[in-house]
Amino acid sequence: MTRYIIRRIFSVIPTLIGVTFVIFMFQRLIPGDPAVAMLGEHATDESVERLREQFGLNRPLFLDRDALADGDINKFFDSQYVRYMKRLAVLDMGESIHRRIPVRETLALRFPATMELAFLAMFIAILVGIPVGIISASKRNSAIDGITMIGSLIGVSMPIFWLGLMEIMLFAVILQWLPAGGRLSTGIDVKSITNIYIIDSLLTGNIAGLRDALEHIALPAIALATIPMSIIARMTRSSMLDVLQEDYVRTAKAKGLSKGLVLFRHALKNAALPVVTIIGLQMGTLLAGAVLTETIFSWPGIGRWVYDGILGRDYPIVQGGTLVIAVVFVAVNFFVDIMYALLDPRIRYD
Amino acid sequence: MAELTPEKTTITDFAVREHRSLWTDAWQRLISSNTARMGMFIVALFVFSAVFAHYFWEYEPKKDLDYSLKLKAPTLVVNEEVPSVHIFGTDKLGRDIFRRVVHGGWNSLRVGIVAVSIALFFGGLIGLVAGFYENIHMTSSEKLTLFGFTGLVMGVMPAWIANQPFQALLFAGLGIVAAYFVDFYKGKIQRLLIFGVAGALIGGLPALLVSGATALVCTIWGLITGILLSRPLEGKFFSNVMMRLMDIILSFPGYLLAIAIVAFLGPGLEKGMIAIGVVSIPVYARLTRSAVLSVIKKEYILAAQSVGEGHGRIIFRHLTPNILSPIIVQTTMGLANAILSAAALGFLGLGAIPPEPEWGSMLGDSYRYLTSGAWWAVLFPGLAIMFSVLGFNLLGDGLRDALDPKLRT
Repeated sequence: MTRYIIRRIFSVIPTLIGVTFVIFMFQRLIPGDPAVAMLGEHATDESVERLREQFGLNRPLFLDRDALADGDINKFFDSQYVRYMKRLAVLDMGESIHRRIPVRETLALRFPATMELAFLAMFIAILVGIPVGIISASKRNSAIDGITMIGSLIGVSMPIFWLGLMEIMLFAVILQWLPAGGRLSTGIDVKSITNIYIIDSLLTGNIAGLRDALEHIALPAIALATIPMSIIARMTRSSMLDVLQEDYVRTAKAKGLSKGLVLFRHALKNAALPVVTIIGLQMGTLLAGAVLTETIFSWPGIGRWVYDGILGRDYPIVQGGTLVIAVVFVAVNFFVDIMYALLDPRIRYD
Repeated sequence: MAELTPEKTTITDFAVREHRSLWTDAWQRLISSNTARMGMFIVALFVFSAVFAHYFWEYEPKKDLDYSLKLKAPTLVVNEEVPSVHIFGTDKLGRDIFRRVVHGGWNSLRVGIVAVSIALFFGGLIGLVAGFYENIHMTSSEKLTLFGFTGLVMGVMPAWIANQPFQALLFAGLGIVAAYFVDFYKGKIQRLLIFGVAGALIGGLPALLVSGATALVCTIWGLITGILLSRPLEGKFFSNVMMRLMDIILSFPGYLLAIAIVAFLGPGLEKGMIAIGVVSIPVYARLTRSAVLSVIKKEYILAAQSVGEGHGRIIFRHLTPNILSPIIVQTTMGLANAILSAAALGFLGLGAIPPEPEWGSMLGDSYRYLTSGAWWAVLFPGLAIMFSVLGFNLLGDGLRDALDPKLRT
């Protein structure tokens, strides 16, 4: 097992380097001179030159062959990419062009908000998706099965930002039950410990704060949960149906075990594996969906921030946000693989 | 399942039964399924309306503007306030939403088709080649290509550092020699020494003309290349390299990579299509590869090999037709996903450049008016996205059941 984990860690490293490489190359996609793009077209030549110097944009992209020809090996490796990686190693992701605030600081502030939303959404998706899948499978081809399957197909066919807008229309504008956006109402204050308001308000025993935080997170979390919920339900159903045809299930039924016991003890355990995988993969959908959901609900997380970065052409923000989301996704997949090996001892790295 | 009674059963004489091909069979199953029929109907409706509107219903987005009709609710009859019928209402510039939704379909479907074609072509090719050669030994001419190409790619590095392009060709030559050696010279250590030294010399000697430091770096690189070429490279090597590349693209969740790419390139429908297509290449590559792996050990491949058919012929005549089913299903579902991704790009202001009608950007344009009660400007473009995506998903589901009854659940 340890051996497997160590090998798995080593296979993550090239992926992470590849991810930083792709994100580094984003800069090259900006039409024209990145320095001019960052400063705006009215910048003076002098300030453009200073920025190029500051960001090392006057250095070659990867390796400096001219320096090598002069015999300077240190300067040979002193390129934009190496500098970028060196800065990343100390978590320096540059600073926002418009606000001049280091990307790292804003990320630290906004990361908990996104995680709170993503994990709550995943919690809802699992809590609803798995039971629905089990019920569908056990009542195969019944009316309930048909409705949930069509429902889940509609769930994966909706753009989540549109679902979010419809929620706002119904619950915030027409019924006025829940707030349309933000994390907390004005006037309500939660003492910040982890910056995850649900946990913070629980820790400080702030019931009004908890209620308010939950009211604000409900709509975005449900919108974000829809796609993973549908996919988890479908996967649970088809995985359960496979298992229910196995001999040991028939044996269990034949020896007179109750239906519930067969379903949960024998079938569910063996059907869990593909469901775990799909849950891990859906974490990606959640993180990508965060950009859209947070935009609609003015949720102050990484996604909303990336959206603002796109609108304002604030490239370091888009780079930093994308990097963090991709790294979280790689980490989640890593843990899913480990979980997978723990659940099924047959699986080993070849 | 219906009860079988003696009266209902009919005896089929298989000797005289009319011959039906696999595809006719699948078609029969497809049109007998309710969900698939529903999916086909929706898809046909959208395709027909988009094509019809594009060619026969003139619309000039640049001239469509009427502030006096700004944000009017849907009307079915003409009244004093609104002198024309707008069944879906009007948007913030007084444009008829129904008209823009129908015309927007053309753009959304176009994005889907172009993006999926890109992904299918490149992903399918990579998956086919990777999966095939992982299990089938390469012929000597194929090995020559693999080694030569590996040498060439590795040789670009010293060629660039020393600014002497011919070095890349030298390394390609080294690769070709190595390909010959691998087959008849089994001494592993000797091969390692010979090619290590040869690589170091090819890398280092020409670089000496530039400077000592350049020669040092090129020698090290040449040594690594030589050692790589001394190994018995096979299809597995190519497959590993390609799949690692695919993994890197896949480590960006969902359409985030496409969003980021277009954010840097600047908005535009064409850029969006290409970005969505490129980031979905890995999905098709992985799917095709695993489909190939599932049939490559089958007897008919072995039979084709044993009668001496060429690899290209085996791939396109025997392999491809047998792995088509999962790929057709994925392509249909992929169209649905591409439409969703395109809508997301449009919503973020990265899709079609206004005033061009496109469902996602129509939503992005008007969602701010939702809180002031203009629900129609948000509802209808969203419904269009949902139904078109649902149509492709239903069709994909039906196709999966029809093409692969074993998978039916």
